[in-house]
Amino acid sequence: MAETEMESNQAGGLALELDPLPPSLTRPLEKVYAFWLAGMSCDGCSISVTGASDPSVEDLLLGTIPGVPRVILYHPVLNGEAGEEFIHNFELAAQGKLDAPYVVILEGSAVDDSLIDGAGYWVGLGARPGKPSDDGSKVISVMEWIDRMAPGAAAMIAIGTCATWGGIPAAEGNPTGAMGLMDYLGKDYRSAFGLPVINIPGCAPVGDNFTEVVAMVLHFLQGTGPLPEFDELGRPAWQFHHTVHERCVRGGYYEGGVFAEKYGDPECLVELGCWGPVVQCNIVERGAIRHHGGCMNQGGICIGCTMPGFPDKFTPFYKEPPGATVSTNTSKNVGRVIRFLRRLSQNHQNRETRWDRESDTPSGWALEKHGDPLFGRLADFFYRKMQFHEAIKPGRSIPETKFRDGYEVKNKRLQDERNGPAEEMVPGYVRRRAKLERDGNRMAV
Amino acid sequence: MCFRNLPIEFDAQGAATLKSGADPFGYQTKAIDRDPIKQLLGKNGYVKAVDFDPVTRVAGALAFHTAVDLKNRKVLEASSMATLFRGYEVILKGRDPRDAIFISSRACGVCGGVHSTCSALAIEMAFGICPPPLAIVIRNLALSMEFVWDNVMHLFMLAGPDFSEAMIKKTEPTLWDRATRTQTRWGSIHGYAKISDIFHDMNPLTGKLYLEGLELSRVAREGYVTLMSKYPHPETIVPGGVSHTVTIQSFNVYLNRLMKTFDFAKRAIGIWNDICDFFYDANEKYKECGTRPVNLADLGIWDDPTAYDATYANCNEWGERRWATPGVILDGKLVTSKLQQINLGMEEFIEHSYYEPWSGQPHKTDPLGAPLSPHHPWNKETKPKPTGMNWREKYSWSTAPRWDRVAVEAGTYARPWITVLAGKLPHRRFLDLTENSMKIQVPKHIAPEMELEWKIPPVFNAFERNRARAYSIAYQAVVAYDNWLIGMDILKKGDYRTSTPYTVPKDHRMAVGFWGAGRGWLSHHLELDKGAIVNYQIITPSTLNACPKDPWGNPGPYEEAVLATPILEEFDSPEKFKGIDILRAIRSFDPCMPCTTHIYAGDQTISCEVNTCACGADD
Repeated sequence: MAETEMESNQAGGLALELDPLPPSLTRPLEKVYAFWLAGMSCDGCSISVTGASDPSVEDLLLGTIPGVPRVILYHPVLNGEAGEEFIHNFELAAQGKLDAPYVVILEGSAVDDSLIDGAGYWVGLGARPGKPSDDGSKVISVMEWIDRMAPGAAAMIAIGTCATWGGIPAAEGNPTGAMGLMDYLGKDYRSAFGLPVINIPGCAPVGDNFTEVVAMVLHFLQGTGPLPEFDELGRPAWQFHHTVHERCVRGGYYEGGVFAEKYGDPECLVELGCWGPVVQCNIVERGAIRHHGGCMNQGGICIGCTMPGFPDKFTPFYKEPPGATVSTNTSKNVGRVIRFLRRLSQNHQNRETRWDRESDTPSGWALEKHGDPLFGRLADFFYRKMQFHEAIKPGRSIPETKFRDGYEVKNKRLQDERNGPAEEMVPGYVRRRAKLERDGNRMAV
Repeated sequence: MCFRNLPIEFDAQGAATLKSGADPFGYQTKAIDRDPIKQLLGKNGYVKAVDFDPVTRVAGALAFHTAVDLKNRKVLEASSMATLFRGYEVILKGRDPRDAIFISSRACGVCGGVHSTCSALAIEMAFGICPPPLAIVIRNLALSMEFVWDNVMHLFMLAGPDFSEAMIKKTEPTLWDRATRTQTRWGSIHGYAKISDIFHDMNPLTGKLYLEGLELSRVAREGYVTLMSKYPHPETIVPGGVSHTVTIQSFNVYLNRLMKTFDFAKRAIGIWNDICDFFYDANEKYKECGTRPVNLADLGIWDDPTAYDATYANCNEWGERRWATPGVILDGKLVTSKLQQINLGMEEFIEHSYYEPWSGQPHKTDPLGAPLSPHHPWNKETKPKPTGMNWREKYSWSTAPRWDRVAVEAGTYARPWITVLAGKLPHRRFLDLTENSMKIQVPKHIAPEMELEWKIPPVFNAFERNRARAYSIAYQAVVAYDNWLIGMDILKKGDYRTSTPYTVPKDHRMAVGFWGAGRGWLSHHLELDKGAIVNYQIITPSTLNACPKDPWGNPGPYEEAVLATPILEEFDSPEKFKGIDILRAIRSFDPCMPCTTHIYAGDQTISCEVNTCACGADD
C-alpha cells in the first residue's frame, strides 16, 4: 500500500487493486455500448471530444483501431415506461439484457432532486407520456437513469469538471445542489467490473484525454494492454500526475523571476492570477486540439478548471493567488542571480567557435556586437573546463582517436596552424575567390 | 416609430418618453385552451400526440410536444420545452464581476467564446474602459472563425443527416428516386453530378461531406485556439481586451487555417442551393416547412476597431459600424437598427416557465433616461421554481423573451438579412450590398476567387434558414479575412497593445454586452454595486427561438414554425411515422449537437426513433 500513501493532492500510484481481466470476459469483445448522459451540462465536453484525434471519435465509432472493439454510442434518452415494443437499448442496458458490456458516460453535474417540492426537475431526459386528458407528461430526471444504469455498467465515466467534481453548476450560491458523479454514487460504488467512477476532468477537458482513456481501457479489456493507471481521485494518472506549471512553456520565466505585468505579456502569468503551479493538468503539453492552443501557450491564465476546488477556490479570477507572493518573491531574488549567469553562458552559446577564434561576429544585424569581451572569454574558459571535465571534448585530442599514418583533414590542420593569435574575420567567399584566382579560373568568380 | 405595442414614444430628436397611463407596461394574460385538442386525442383517430424527447441538448436541452393530424397532415399543437436549468444567473449574483467572463462562458459549450466576449463587453462598459484596437480585432478573428465551424457543424453533422440518403430513403422514398434522376445545377462548384450523390455523401459518419465537415471543424478550431487557448471556453478574454500574447506567428497560423475554409464555403453554398431547389421543385409544399413571419432580431457583431468605445451613450453609432448591423425585422420590414431601441424593446415573460415572478421595477429608465419596462432584463430577477410540466401552465425552463411583445427569431441568417435591409455596412472590401442581396467576394485558395450572392428569399422556411447559413460560412470567413488584414496593419504600425488597465469600481453601475452567438442574438445585462454583481441576465438565441408561449398565448418561434409545417412524409401506417418534416423545421433553427432524437409512445401516441447523427449510424 506504500504507493497510495503519497501526498494527498498528488496523483499517486494505483489506488485500487483490480483483477487483470474481469471474470465475465472470456473472449475478446467485438463491440461495446456507450451511453452518454447529460446532467447539468453545456455540451462542451461533447464538443471537445469531436475535436479529438488520438483516437478520433469516428475511429472509435467505426471500429477502425486494430484490436479495439467498435464503440456503439448512444446520446439519446427514451422513456422506460413506453410499450414493450419500443424498449430500446437504454432500457435493455438498465435491465442487464444487452449482448455486450456497456459504459455510461456522464457529462455535466448530478443534481439534488430532493430540493424540489413535489413534481418538477432540474434536468430532464425523456418523459413518461400522459393520457390524452392530461395537460403534460412526466419528465424523467437524469438522476433516475443514473440510478438504474450505474449498477450494471462496466464502467461509469465522468467527463468534464461538472461531472467529476461538480464544477460551475455546483459553485457557491447555486440553486440546484449540483455535485459530481462520485458525490452522487458515493464512496462504495463499484461498477459491474469492479471499478469506482473514472474521472476525466477539465472545463472543457482535452478531447484526446477522454478518447485515449476509452481506447486504453478497451486495449486492457482485450488483454492487449496494461491496466491504465488511475490516481486516488480516479483520474488517469499519466495525464494528471503533473502540474501545469511543471510542463508550462512559461515555467522558465518563473524560475528566472520574470513575471508578466499586463495581459498579453509573454512572461510567467502567476502575478496576473495564474494557478498553474498547483493545478494538475496536461493541456499545455498536449494542446487543446491537435497540439494547438493550451492555456498558457497562448497567454491564458490557469483558472484551475481541472481541479475539485474549481471555481470557488480560484476566484476572483485574475487576482494573484494568495500563496504566490512568497514564491514569486523568492524566485525573483534567486532568479536575478540565475538569470545573470545564464545570460553569460547564453551569450557564449550564441557564438560559433569560428567566431571565437576570429573574435568577431559576421552578422550584419548586430553591428555593435563585435568581439567577445575579456570577461566573457574568461567565463567561457572556466565554463569549458567544467563542461569537458571527465568528458570528451569534440575533436581528436585523445591520441587513440588520431588517424593512422599522420593523416589529418585539411581543415583541421589549417585551423591548428592558424590557432595562434586571433586572425581577422574573413568572409567565406573571399577565400573562395582567392582560390579561383590562384587557379586562374576567372569565369567562375 | 419603432414600437407598435410598447408604450414608448420618440420625439424628433430620437429621445424616448413614456406614454401616459396608469400601468403603461401592464397586460392581461390569456389562458391556453387545450380542450379541443384533448377531445381529438381522446377519440383515438388520426390525431396523435407525437413527442420528440429530447430533440437536442445544447443551449438548453430541448424536448418537443406536438399533436398531429395524420389524415389532414397538419400539426395542431406544439410545445417547446427546455429541459435543463443550471442557474448561471443565480450563481453570478453576489460575485466579483471579473468572475463573469469565465463563469458565463460555461453557459454554452458549443460557442462559449461568445459568452466570454459578451461578458467582457458588459464589464468594460461598467468599468468605463475600452479595449485597444488589436484586442477588438482578435476577438473578431476568433468569433468569426468560431461561427464558420459552428455553421459547418450544423449543416453537415446536425441538419445534414436529415437530407442524407439514409434518411430520405426511409422517409421519402419517392424523393430519393427523383434524386437519382436529377442533375445538380451547381456541379461546377461542388463537383456532384446528381442530387443523390450529394445525399449519399451527407450520410452520417460515413458520408464524405460529413467527414469533411468534421475535419474542417477541427481545422477551424485550431485557428481559434491559436488566439483563444482553448475550445470551448476560451482562456484569453479579459476585462479590457485579450491576454493572448500576439506575435506574427499567431497571424500566420490563423490564416493557414482560415484559407482552408474558403473553398469549403464555396462548395457548401452550391450544395445547399441544390438541396433547396431540389425540394422546392419536387413539391412546392416544402416551402411551408418551418415557415413563420419574418420576425428577426439581432444585436450585430464584430466591432469596428476605429469606432467602438464601449459606452452605452454611443451604442447606436458604434453598433452601426459593425460587420453585422444590429436590427429588428418585423413582418419583413426593418424597424430599427439602433442598439438602444433594440435594447428597450426586449422583455422577458415567465408565465409558462418554471420561475417565480419578480416584483418591483428598480430601474424606471435606462442609463440615458429612456423608459424601461419592468419586464426588461435590467429589472428582471431569476428565481427558479421547478414544478410539474403542464402545457396550459408551466412547461419550460426557457423564459419567453419578446421584442415589442412579438416573438422574434435569432439566427446566423438574421445577420446578413438585417445588414442588407439596413444598408449601412461600412466594410466593403469583400462584402457589398444591393437592395435585396449581399455579395460576398470569397478569396482564392485552391479554387479561384469567387463572388457569391445571397438574396433575401421570397419565402422564409427551414430550407432558407439552411441556405442562408451556408452563405453565412462565406460571410464569416471574409469578415475574418478582412479583420486579419486590419490586424496585420495594426502590427505594421507597431501597436501590440492587447489590453487596457482597470480597477473594479465600487459604485453603482449598469451595463450591457450586445453581441451574437453562432445562432445570433446574445445579450448580457449587468448591474454592479459595492464591487459585486447585483444582477446578471443572459438572453441567448436559443432562449429567443425555443421559448414557450407568451402571456397572450402566442407561440415561440419553434412552436410557430412547427405549427405551420405540412406533413409531407411518406408513411404507410401511423406507427411508421417519423416526423421528419417537424424535425427539419426544428433543426433549421440549429438547436445544436449530434444526438439521437427519440419519439416515444404510450397507448395513444406514436413512437419512432430518428437518428440524426453518428450515434445512430449503426441502425
